[in-house]
Amino acid sequence: MVPHSPFRMDPAKIMDEVSAFQRKLASGMGQLRGARQPEYANTPRELVYSEDKLKVWHFKGEKKPTSKTPLLIAYALVNTVWMTDLQADRSMVRNLLEQGEDVYLIDWGYPDAVDRWLTLDDYINGYLDRCVDAVLQRCKLDAIDLLGICQGGVFSLCYTALHPHKIRNLITMVTPVDFQTQDNMLSQWARLLDVDRFVDTVGNIPAALMNYVYLSLKPVRLNQQKYVGLVDILDSPIELENFLRMERWIFDSPDQAGEAFREFIKKFYQDNGLVNDSLEIGGLRVHLGAIKHPVLNIFAEQDHLVPPDASRAMGRHLGTKDYTQLAFKGGHIGIYVSGRAQREVPPAIHQWLRARD
Amino acid sequence: MNKQADDFFKADAMKADLIKDYQELARQSWETFAAQMQKQFGTAGAEGFSRSSSAKNSSANVTVDHALAGLKSYADWLQGAAASVSTPQSDWRQQMQQLFGGASQPFSHGFGGTDSSGAKAFVEQWQAWLNSNQKTGASGAQPQEQGSTTGFGFGHEQHAQHQALADAIAQHLEASQRYQILMQRSNAQAIEKMQAKLSKLAKPGQQIESLKVLYDLWVDCAEEAYAEIALSEEFREAYGEMVNTQIRVRQLQQEQTEYLCQQLGIPTRSDVSSLGERLQSLRREVRNSKTSSAASHAEEIEALRRDVAALKEQLLASNASRSVVRKSHAAKAAVAKAPRSAVKKSVTKASSAKSPKTAAKKTAASTSRAKPAALAKTRKRK
Repeated sequence: MVPHSPFRMDPAKIMDEVSAFQRKLASGMGQLRGARQPEYANTPRELVYSEDKLKVWHFKGEKKPTSKTPLLIAYALVNTVWMTDLQADRSMVRNLLEQGEDVYLIDWGYPDAVDRWLTLDDYINGYLDRCVDAVLQRCKLDAIDLLGICQGGVFSLCYTALHPHKIRNLITMVTPVDFQTQDNMLSQWARLLDVDRFVDTVGNIPAALMNYVYLSLKPVRLNQQKYVGLVDILDSPIELENFLRMERWIFDSPDQAGEAFREFIKKFYQDNGLVNDSLEIGGLRVHLGAIKHPVLNIFAEQDHLVPPDASRAMGRHLGTKDYTQLAFKGGHIGIYVSGRAQREVPPAIHQWLRARD
Repeated sequence: MNKQADDFFKADAMKADLIKDYQELARQSWETFAAQMQKQFGTAGAEGFSRSSSAKNSSANVTVDHALAGLKSYADWLQGAAASVSTPQSDWRQQMQQLFGGASQPFSHGFGGTDSSGAKAFVEQWQAWLNSNQKTGASGAQPQEQGSTTGFGFGHEQHAQHQALADAIAQHLEASQRYQILMQRSNAQAIEKMQAKLSKLAKPGQQIESLKVLYDLWVDCAEEAYAEIALSEEFREAYGEMVNTQIRVRQLQQEQTEYLCQQLGIPTRSDVSSLGERLQSLRREVRNSKTSSAASHAEEIEALRRDVAALKEQLLASNASRSVVRKSHAAKAAVAKAPRSAVKKSVTKASSAKSPKTAAKKTAASTSRAKPAALAKTRKRK
C-alpha cells in the first residue's frame, strides 16, 4: 500500500514559482554582471614592517588604545587576512580597536614560485618571530599579546612554546590541536595523501585547488544552494554587495608554499604532532606543556573545517593553569563576520586581556 | 662525406619535426588541461588554477561564473520538477525517484570534477598526451600486468617511461571508478533519507507545497549522506588512491617533458626548482647572518655600556675625593689671608655653587666624551 503523498503541489502555483525564479534570475543577473568588486573595510592602518611578501600592519582606531600591551594577529596562510576586517560593520579588527586594543596584523602575502621552499621553520621561527620583534621594538616592550587564527593559531601555539619569553597572553581562534578527531573531514582526506609526491609534482599548491577541496566539504550547499539563495537578494544592492565581498574573500586566496604545505600535512594531519608530542619545527621540539602563559581558546560550535573537538583538545595539553575556553554559536567564518560575533567575540577578548594586562 | 652531410641534415630535419611535434603537443596538452580545470573548478580554468595576479581583480566575474554554474543545474531541475509534479502520480516514491534519481538530480554540479565525467576527461587528456608522445618515436605502450617484461636495448628507457605512464593512467581509472561507486552510494543513501523524511510529512498541514522547500530538504539529505560516506575509512582510502594516482600520472608526464627538454637543451622544471631551493637557502643564510651580526653588535654595545658605566663610577669616585681635598685646601688658605667676614662669604659660595658630586659628574662626562680610545682599550683588556 502506498502511503499518503507528502506532496501537495498546485500546478498553477508551481508554474508561478518557476517563472518567478526565472524572472528574478533574468533581471538580477544584469546587476550581478555589472556589479563592482566590493572593497574590504580598510580600517585605517600603517605599515610597520615588511619582509619579502609579508607585511605587518598597525591599525588606527578613532581613540587611543587603553591596553598597555599590543595585540598581534597571525592569520592562516590559506586565505587572505581581510576576513578580520571584512566590512565596516563586520570587522573584528575595528571592534577590537573600539574596545581599546592596540591591534597589529600579519599579512602573509601571496607566495609565488620563489617561495616554493619556505618551510614551517621559515614561517614560525623566521617570519613570525621577526614580526613579533618588530612590534616589540616599536613598542619598547619585552612581550606582547598574540592572537592566532586557524592555521595561524597553530603557528602561534608553536611560536609561544618555542619563544615563551616574547609572549604575554595567547589567544587562539578556531585553532585545531587534535588533527585526527573522527569528525574532521579534511583530516580524513589528508591522511593517506602521498604528500611528498604531491608537492614534488605540483610545487606550490594552487589556491584554486585548495578552494576546490574546501568546497568539496559541503559540495551541494557551497557550489549550488548558496547561489540559489543569491537569486533572492539580487534586487537588494546592500545584500548583494555583502555577498560579493564574501565571494571575493573566498576565491581571492594565496597559493601555498610547497614545503610548508608538505610539512603541515605530515606533521599535523598525518602525525598529529601536537597531541602526540612528537612535533619538531626547524629541529626544535614543540611541546605544548611548555606554554605556561594565560591562554584564551575560542572555537565555533558549527565549524565544518575545524571541528570543536579538535580545538577543545588544547586544554588537555597546555602547561598553563590559566586556560579559558569560549564556545561560539556559529561557524568557521561566522565567528568573525556574523552579527552575534560582533557583539560577543571582541568584547570577550578585550575583557579577558584587560584582566591580564 | 655526402652521407655524413645527409645524416646531419636528416638529423636536423628530425629535430625540427620533433620541436614542431612538441609545440603541438604542448598546445594540445595545455588546452585539454585548461578545459579540464574549467570543468573541474567551474571558474577561470587553468588560469585560475595556476593563480595569476589578474585573478585577484576579477572576483565579481568569478562569482558570476560560479553562480551561473550552480544555478544552471538548479534551473534545469526546477523545470523538470515542475513538469513532473504537474502530472498526478499514484506513487509519490516513484515521483521522488524521477525528481532526484540519476541524471536529473539537482546537485550534479556540486560534484563537478569529482564525478565520472571529470575522471574521464582527466584520463582522456593524458591518454592524448601519451598518444601524441608515441608519435615522436617511442613504441606503443599499453597497460601491462605486473611483472610483465619491459623492453631492452636502445630506447629502453623511453619505452619504460611510456609504459609507466600507460600503467598509471589505468590505475587512475580504476581508482576513479572506486571513488565513483562511493559517490553513487552517497546518492542512493540521500534518496533513502529523503524518503524517510518525506514519509513523516504526509499529514495535512505538513505537506510540501513548493519546489524550493523540496529542494532544500533534498540538499540536507544529500549533504548528510555525503558526510557519512566522506568520513568513512573506505572513502579515505578511495580518495587517497584517486588523488595519488592522479598525481602519479602528472609526475610521469613531467618526467617525460623533462626528458624532452633535456634533449632540446631547454631548462627544465627541476632546474628552476633547484635554483629556487638554492635561493631560499641563501635567503635563510643572509637572514641568519643579519640576525646573528645584529645580536653580536647588541652584545658588543652592551659590553661597552657596562665599561662606560664602570669608568664613570671610577671617575666619579676619584674626582669627588680630589675635589673635596682641593676645596678644603682653598678654604684653609682663604681663611688665613682674608678678614673674617669675607672668609665666611667665600666658603658659603663655594659650597652652594659646586658641590663635590656635581663637579665630579661634569668631569666624568667630559672624560667619557673625550676618550673613546681609552674605553676601547679597557674593553680589550677585559
